[in-house]
Amino acid sequence: MRMVRVGRWITAIGLVLLAGVYVRALSFTPVEQSQGLAQKIFYLHVPAAIWAEVAMVLVGLASIFYLFTKDPRLDRFAASSAEVGTVFCAIVLTTGPIWGKPIWGTWWTWDARLTFTLFLFLLYVGYLLLRSAIPDPAMRARYSAVLGICGMCEVPFIHLSVYMFPTLHPMPIVLQPGRPKLPGSMLSTWLLSLGVFTLLYVGFVVQRYAVSYLREQLEAAGEVGHA
Amino acid sequence: MPENGNYMIAAYILVGVILTGYALSLHLRARRSLRP
Repeated sequence: MRMVRVGRWITAIGLVLLAGVYVRALSFTPVEQSQGLAQKIFYLHVPAAIWAEVAMVLVGLASIFYLFTKDPRLDRFAASSAEVGTVFCAIVLTTGPIWGKPIWGTWWTWDARLTFTLFLFLLYVGYLLLRSAIPDPAMRARYSAVLGICGMCEVPFIHLSVYMFPTLHPMPIVLQPGRPKLPGSMLSTWLLSLGVFTLLYVGFVVQRYAVSYLREQLEAAGEVGHA
Repeated sequence: MPENGNYMIAAYILVGVILTGYALSLHLRARRSLRP
């Protein structure tokens, strides 16, 4: 199937470029003086966080349109974006504590940004569990669309939590009003990484969408149970 | 400057493992679905 091949190629290019990000971040980007080498986790943590949030917004938007149009392609896209978002959210929730331990002195604290991000991950997991628990495709799509819209509504709280609550988590230094508060060399590495994570998101979603489509064909033919 | 390079290495390895592992999982699922 052409879509599987396209997704594989995009993913493969994304993984090769990810190796390039590693080389650039580790060898050709200056070390931040106050945080030391641990600050370089920023180049993976923040792009993953952005895509974990954008993926849920896309799940929500696709879900809204699904409820109006009942187009199965939108439901398939929402399911694909949710699975990929779960992977990126897992990266955020593992790299965050690894960065936090040397800088804050603790792996985890129940502050607003961290708690909202954990809640996003649990919403993703709940969304995937809900989909796997309902055999009827129309009911599965409808119920998961409602949960997807709820997930989308949580995303602004994650981004604004550092402004709304007292928190250990630093304020945004790139996605904020005004110019990014980063030197050019660090900003270019971060932008490269954001581009690679974008490519990986697209590659993963295209492949996952194709897998869903193929499984639906097999389900319709009665060869397998629902995914 | 603080000595915390081991945390950075752990994070970079972890991200590589998660992304490569997921890519492999998708590859295998697609292959299984394409099998006649």
